[in-house]
Amino acid sequence: MKKLPLEGIRVADLTMMWAGPFATRVLAEMGAEVIKIESPRAWDNIRTLIPLPGNPEPWNSSWYFNDYNRDKKSLTLDLAQALGKQAFLKLVAKCDVVIENYRADVLDNLGLGYAILQAAKPDIILVSMAGYGKTGPERDQVGFGPIIEQMSGLASMTGYGDDGVPMKTGLSYGDPVAGKAAAAAVALALIQRRKTGEGTFIDLGQREVMSTLIGEAFVAASLRNEQPVHRGDRDALYFAQGAYRCAGDEQWLAISLRTPGEWRSLCKTVDLEEELSSVPKEARLEEIDRRLSAALTDRDPQETLELLARAGIPAGRVLNTLDIHNDPHLDARGFWVELPHPNMTAWKQPRSAWQLREAKPAPRRHAPLFGEHNTEILRDLLGLTAAEIAELERSEVISSAPINPGVG
Amino acid sequence: MSEPVLTGVRVLEVGGNLSVAFAAKWLAGFGADVVRIDPDSESLTPDEQVYLLAGKRRVSASFAVESLALAADIIIEGDQLGSFHRRVNPAVLRRKKPAIVVVSITPYGQDGPYAANQATNITSFAMGGIMSLTGMPQREPLVTGGSQALYLGGINAFGAAVAAYLGSLVHGEGDWVDISIQECMAGMLELYGPGAAYNGAASLRSGNHVRASWGIYPCADGFAGVCALERQIPAFFKVVGDPELDEPRFRDVTQRAENDDELQAKLYGWFAEHTKAEILDLGAKYKVPFGAVMTPNDLLGNASLAERHFFDAIATPEGTAMVPGRPFLGLPWVPGELHRPGADTEQVMAEWLGEMS
Repeated sequence: MKKLPLEGIRVADLTMMWAGPFATRVLAEMGAEVIKIESPRAWDNIRTLIPLPGNPEPWNSSWYFNDYNRDKKSLTLDLAQALGKQAFLKLVAKCDVVIENYRADVLDNLGLGYAILQAAKPDIILVSMAGYGKTGPERDQVGFGPIIEQMSGLASMTGYGDDGVPMKTGLSYGDPVAGKAAAAAVALALIQRRKTGEGTFIDLGQREVMSTLIGEAFVAASLRNEQPVHRGDRDALYFAQGAYRCAGDEQWLAISLRTPGEWRSLCKTVDLEEELSSVPKEARLEEIDRRLSAALTDRDPQETLELLARAGIPAGRVLNTLDIHNDPHLDARGFWVELPHPNMTAWKQPRSAWQLREAKPAPRRHAPLFGEHNTEILRDLLGLTAAEIAELERSEVISSAPINPGVG
Repeated sequence: MSEPVLTGVRVLEVGGNLSVAFAAKWLAGFGADVVRIDPDSESLTPDEQVYLLAGKRRVSASFAVESLALAADIIIEGDQLGSFHRRVNPAVLRRKKPAIVVVSITPYGQDGPYAANQATNITSFAMGGIMSLTGMPQREPLVTGGSQALYLGGINAFGAAVAAYLGSLVHGEGDWVDISIQECMAGMLELYGPGAAYNGAASLRSGNHVRASWGIYPCADGFAGVCALERQIPAFFKVVGDPELDEPRFRDVTQRAENDDELQAKLYGWFAEHTKAEILDLGAKYKVPFGAVMTPNDLLGNASLAERHFFDAIATPEGTAMVPGRPFLGLPWVPGELHRPGADTEQVMAEWLGEMS
């Protein structure tokens, strides 16, 4: 079996919510041993954000939590207590990477800043992924993905164009983008450590990563003072483009016609009149929209997608969150994987998008139950005695269930 | 500061599309010697070229692609039509040079029934699932601004390239990385993806308001937003300062959901009376997740980004462009300069292939 790139790397994972756990899911996919650390008093909010009705252990039965925390181990530790901090620093001494996505001041306030971690492990890599980074006048702002999207410039570029309203992406877009960059940062920092023997402190501002995904808009702004234009589903570079309703409930096809030739080809494929009566571009685009809307409204989206694909026309179903789990292409690629879970029926989870064709990363195990690996880590890895572990339990530094399960 | 982490690493960029160019841009920024084989017909816009090509050497040498490929440590390529693979088969290349990392970025990946399907940014955005969640419920689904699907392919390719290169250094063997833009998106559907997979019901787009306390509103000088989790609701309501918000119909999470329209109406009123700057100040002071819709022009004057030296200055014939620079702090970054197409052909042939002109 070929080794995964991060085999042998151990990560102390303090991240919560989505951006950080998404990053560490990637690290686990790439072979790292990821130890997720949560306080019995303040655990990852995602565990209980959408509880399964009637489940006796909602914190262990969340599809949301499970999807983004599989392949990790769970250690509970209250870092606000001296004993918790002590155990954490013992763990850091045996780790290669510490990663956190707290608000910018939190890790330092816990007394666990980079210098303290370095004292425990001189070549430690620390990745902090606060919304706006660790420095600068905005560092105290609290940021979730949609806020990051607004503050990055991206939301100003999204909109239908006829109402002047900027639109958010329909999910917390800033999170996974920052997560992927953070995972990459870990791999880069490990290369650096290999070259120099030194660790590093990665200060990742989620807003900054998001802005890198619209770089050309900064060129236009800085060179020509251009303001963002809301273009709806159109693309100024193409002959025509849009999203068109098909038969079925909320079924749509997105189609790009890059050239007049592709319009002609489309007309032949779906039996449409080719000649356009409008001359000005805007009127012509509206005419194309009208004709395509009428032509596609009773057509099956999947059949039409395949028809257009055969004609070489770029088209994509606007796959909804259910249909995407039944997409024949993703299915053929083995993208969805079902993992057994002790409290839940299995469901389709995505495997890694980083498909190393030879090392073949694949999901291995369901997300850990709360504190599931406490003994394994504290006793076997850190060498704590049974009495020391009992003391941690007594003082509620560790726990196998949340101490105040009503609050997430 | 030590030398950039990827100093001495040779990267060949082939195919030239946005995803490929973005992945290779970050490799160049972290110090790699990136050589771009300029495509016969440039697919990047002039602005994209300024942003994505600085720091790369550029060769007109598609005739030498096989030998350049063998001389590289990492290849980033976006060939969907087979023109590269006919000349350089990644599987064969991997056998010839076990340490090499080849990263292929395509809309649908290297195999499967759609592998050869034509795609653009919007069709990829649609097939990745995010578009179904974006836009107003009573209107058509909306593509997010810019070229997000293509950039997502690039950012994933960068990460996978670096991970596989680390694997090559540590374990002695590279890999062939197959990046499908559709998969990059299908695996990042927040709660909506696993929720639909588990419960068997799709989520649909909800415009600018998932709920009243999670959305974008017009404010006194533009648009601003709030994303308050339950634990942040008390602080948020305190900032808004409407005494009715203390009533159970807004305080209680279940009743609040039933009165979401009324809460939204109140928030439209509150946001309209405040400027972006006021709202952001209140957010920092009371730890409420507020945001404001900033344009790139706004951000070019942003004090945090200036203090953190976020932007790179790129000299262009039109003047100096300011572009997003390093994605994170902590490792040395080289902004790089723009080279003319083909400008480095001779030098690269000499250095990489030992050929004298």
